[in-house]
Amino acid sequence: MSGVLTAESEADALEHLHALGCTDGLPVVVPTPERVERMQLASGLDADLVLGEMGPGNGVASVRHVAIAAVMAGCLPDYMPVVIAAVQAVIDPRFDLTEMQATTHCTAPLILVNGPARHDCGPIASGFGALGPGHRANASIGRALRLAMMNIGGALPGSSDMALLGHPGKFTYCLAEDEEHSPLPPLHVALGFEAEDSVVTVIGAEAPHSVLSSATGDTAADAEGLLEALAAGLAGLATNNAILTGGCAVVVLNPDHAHILTAAGLDRAGIQARLYERAAHSVGTLKRVAPAFARGKDDSALRYCFQAPEDILVLMAGGSGLYSMVMPSWCAGPHRNRAVSVRIESDQFCALPGA
Amino acid sequence: MRDGIAAARLGVPAVSLVTDDFWPQGDFVASSLGMPDLPRVRLPHPVAGTGAKRLEEVAEAIADRIIDALEGKK
Repeated sequence: MSGVLTAESEADALEHLHALGCTDGLPVVVPTPERVERMQLASGLDADLVLGEMGPGNGVASVRHVAIAAVMAGCLPDYMPVVIAAVQAVIDPRFDLTEMQATTHCTAPLILVNGPARHDCGPIASGFGALGPGHRANASIGRALRLAMMNIGGALPGSSDMALLGHPGKFTYCLAEDEEHSPLPPLHVALGFEAEDSVVTVIGAEAPHSVLSSATGDTAADAEGLLEALAAGLAGLATNNAILTGGCAVVVLNPDHAHILTAAGLDRAGIQARLYERAAHSVGTLKRVAPAFARGKDDSALRYCFQAPEDILVLMAGGSGLYSMVMPSWCAGPHRNRAVSVRIESDQFCALPGA
Repeated sequence: MRDGIAAARLGVPAVSLVTDDFWPQGDFVASSLGMPDLPRVRLPHPVAGTGAKRLEEVAEAIADRIIDALEGKK
């Protein structure tokens, strides 16, 4: 799709976009040239700047094209630096976008946001219900990436996106870390960025799996029980991580659970190491459950779900209570669908007159 | 389709085996990568998970078509 479409009215334009398959099924903001130009100007980047190609359709993602997706998704211009960084992340070859978009697995790009952009380009929610409805930045940033993946990348359900069912995170899937209340350093600092940087980390993830733990932290056994519950969620025998092994996954600790683990003397690396050790199955078990994928002669040998503890991304978000979340990943493709982090260039942002 | 196109680009005769349900995706990928006419043989869907006996039946039914496609016959 290229060029400028015309319509008699805003309502007609919306129906036309639906008919062309350019929407996610929900109404979009019609991307008029004026709206797109405002969005692009806010990015501070040239409209024709090419960020890269998006598979499987190999569409060229220019800043203008990304701005169109952002307008359609309902983004405020403030959000553009985050949308741009998210697009750059999925274009990175390590993300395996082409294969990820075409797979039969249910996988969606989970956008994790760290640093000052959570406030400057938002607010991007990180507390109660942050992955649910009611948070404009979370909702529209994730949706903008999806619309870019459809309209620039060409992923259309049933013809080029072959997800057997998909999952609701394919509409939008964006979350900030609650850095202010977390006992852990921010995720992006653990990944090698400076604390004052703003960073998106994108991973092709399944829907969130709830992890119930009534741990209180009163005893050492509490922390152990919580780790066991989290590992059981991560290493579920029906997940790709367990069967294919490798790739990455996400653990979103709620504040209570984060404090229980740190009070037990664990830092992020310690939590990752303990989860890594527990996220494993015997060859015999894998042969029984998924014989087409199981390898190895010694049925008692362990196959770890992840190649390294650092492949388990741990952050804190959400409200206080019983439930944390884990998000296993697709973890296939030439690079095993790596999580990719990109610095958000918010210093390029231009405040718009009258905005 | 991508594997077939990658092989064809290297000058290796290639034919892609594509099931009914994935035929539109095959069209899309072949067009996107600039080889819309890459030889393809159509298989019933599904093939995976249908058992060894069924796989043998499918192979028997399409073997000649694969050879024809590799030899450039329609």
